[in-house]
Amino acid sequence: MLEVKDLKASIGDTEILRGLSLDVGAGEVHAIMGPNGSGKSTLALVIAGHDDYKVTSGSVTYQGSDLLELEPEERARKGIFLGFQYPVEIPGVNNAYLLKAAVNAKRKHQGLDEMDAFEFLKLAKEKMALLDMDPKFLNRGVNEGFSGGEKKRNEILQMAMLEPSLAILDETDSGLDIDALRAVAQGVNALRSPDRAIVLVTHYQRLLDYVEPDHVHVLSEGRIARSGDKSLALELEEKGYDWVREAATG
Amino acid sequence: MKSPKLSFDALRAFVDNLPDDGLAASRQAALEHLHKNGLPTTGDEDWKYTDLTMIVDIGNRWLEGQGQQPLPAEIGGTVDEICSSIDADWLIVLGGQIDERSLAEFSPSGVSIRRLTESANDLLFDAPLSDLNTALLQDGLRIRVDGDAALRRPIGILVIDDAMAGAVMSQIRIEIEVMASGSASFVEYHASTGSADSYTNSVTSLDLGDGSCADYVRIQDRALHHNHTSRLAVTTGQDSAFNHCAFDLGGRMIRNDIAIDITEPGGQIAFDGLYLVGDGQHVDNHTRADHRVGPAESHQEYRGILTGKARGVWNGKAIVHQGADGTDAEQANHNLLLSDNAEVDAKPELEIYADDVKCSHGTTVGQLDETSLFYLRTRGLSEHEAKQVLTRAFAQAIVSKSPISSIHDMLAEKISQRLGELMHGADA
Repeated sequence: MLEVKDLKASIGDTEILRGLSLDVGAGEVHAIMGPNGSGKSTLALVIAGHDDYKVTSGSVTYQGSDLLELEPEERARKGIFLGFQYPVEIPGVNNAYLLKAAVNAKRKHQGLDEMDAFEFLKLAKEKMALLDMDPKFLNRGVNEGFSGGEKKRNEILQMAMLEPSLAILDETDSGLDIDALRAVAQGVNALRSPDRAIVLVTHYQRLLDYVEPDHVHVLSEGRIARSGDKSLALELEEKGYDWVREAATG
Repeated sequence: MKSPKLSFDALRAFVDNLPDDGLAASRQAALEHLHKNGLPTTGDEDWKYTDLTMIVDIGNRWLEGQGQQPLPAEIGGTVDEICSSIDADWLIVLGGQIDERSLAEFSPSGVSIRRLTESANDLLFDAPLSDLNTALLQDGLRIRVDGDAALRRPIGILVIDDAMAGAVMSQIRIEIEVMASGSASFVEYHASTGSADSYTNSVTSLDLGDGSCADYVRIQDRALHHNHTSRLAVTTGQDSAFNHCAFDLGGRMIRNDIAIDITEPGGQIAFDGLYLVGDGQHVDNHTRADHRVGPAESHQEYRGILTGKARGVWNGKAIVHQGADGTDAEQANHNLLLSDNAEVDAKPELEIYADDVKCSHGTTVGQLDETSLFYLRTRGLSEHEAKQVLTRAFAQAIVSKSPISSIHDMLAEKISQRLGELMHGADA
């Protein structure tokens, strides 16, 4: 599904990813952990196509073709979804409007007819029920005045509507109370399937109690310092990030 | 400094030839005032960004042609289209003349209408261009809304000009009075057709009685090569409410002045505006609120969207006079520049001579938010779509807060269409 090879990326003059390699196969859930500044969010943003980040070497292949030459919207239409660490408030743009435009942009790319209003509303309400979201959120501005937890649920709602092939969730668990965390986890688990890959970028082990990963990677200074199964996350929780940093440098 | 010169002899000859109607005395007085003071120039602080040379040239050419007011023949379709797009009781002004039929058909009870030509008038012309307006005025309306009038829908005033050949100049004057406890809403709509040059100068006054309420929306959607200056002077009664919103969608050289005089306590005033300005257009909004007594509130927010080589001006003046304690005056002006060549001059002016007041102002000039653009693109919207969505949202904030909710959809549709044109092809 996704192959990242020896990826180096910078913002301005600062190199953040320093030769990162990662293979994510269909049906797998990967957790990417690491201390602040280790490059977790940069990796997510580079995959989504943020042009503040310049890729200086290495490659990213998605479903067999070069991902880096595509615009962000083309990546989205081909099934890549980024759940933002800080979802943007866009006053004046209706939540339902954005959801519908997003779904239809993808359908158009796939050669499908646009979803009509009735069909759309039915699907949106179904997904919202799963996330324990009030249907009233559909008629509000995108994330406008939403609480932290509501914003994250809204990201998961978008993901559920778009049914991506590759979902990258950037610290979706941060700042959530336990109910919101459960709802988000439920949304993620509902999406698990053999033809879909999920990458969870997280600082804490907490989310992994609810969404069990197949692989856990620890990032340090722009590289993967350690990979393992879910037990790595527990070990990390116990020993702290210094342990990885020491292991990486020592 | 440029000083546009109106050919005064031709002007006097034209005015002397007009019929001896109820406007004759006002016209002569205004003519003398104009002769003495001349038109504003870019040397005047309030006019430094707006050069009237082009407008004066149209006026002179129009006078050379003996002030021909071509009979608008071809604009019936445009009139019907506009009048049917807004549910209102319409009064129509064609080329500076009141349309007899719309006057005869106007029927809301509790509203009386008189033509200014019918009886002697003593019109005020205390501001630049209002003397030009009065000197050349051939027709005008006085609208009075009774305190107990129960209006079902807005009163619409359509000012439309057709410039078929040469150069056309027209003046219109509307004097509105809402009596104590009265309530009414107004839509003032400006449009124009024809390929020749055109300049329209409109002056409106609105007197609000004690405890009255007026909602007022002005839509300026003139042809992109036509020019317009407007002035709205409002006086507010005790505990009266005035909600105004102006939409400038078309026109080439546009200058709007609003002056709100708060002489009685308890006024609640909101005046907002949106201007969409494209390549070669110039839109200048000057607003002024005089808080002479307190308590009273005035809130204003103007937003502008500029593309190509567009020029925008916003100047908001709030004067809190001595003793106007309890004043709450708020001004905001936000501009979205969608091209490198667009330019806007934003200037808030607060003058405070009272102690117990709350005043604030803020202006911004910026581009679309990059983070929001990226967010929308990661949801599959193209860069162009994302820009359009964000730009529409920026404009929609003013539509949503404008009075007369029955025309919100129509406005949103018109704005979206105009933005589509402005952003078409351009890297905007």
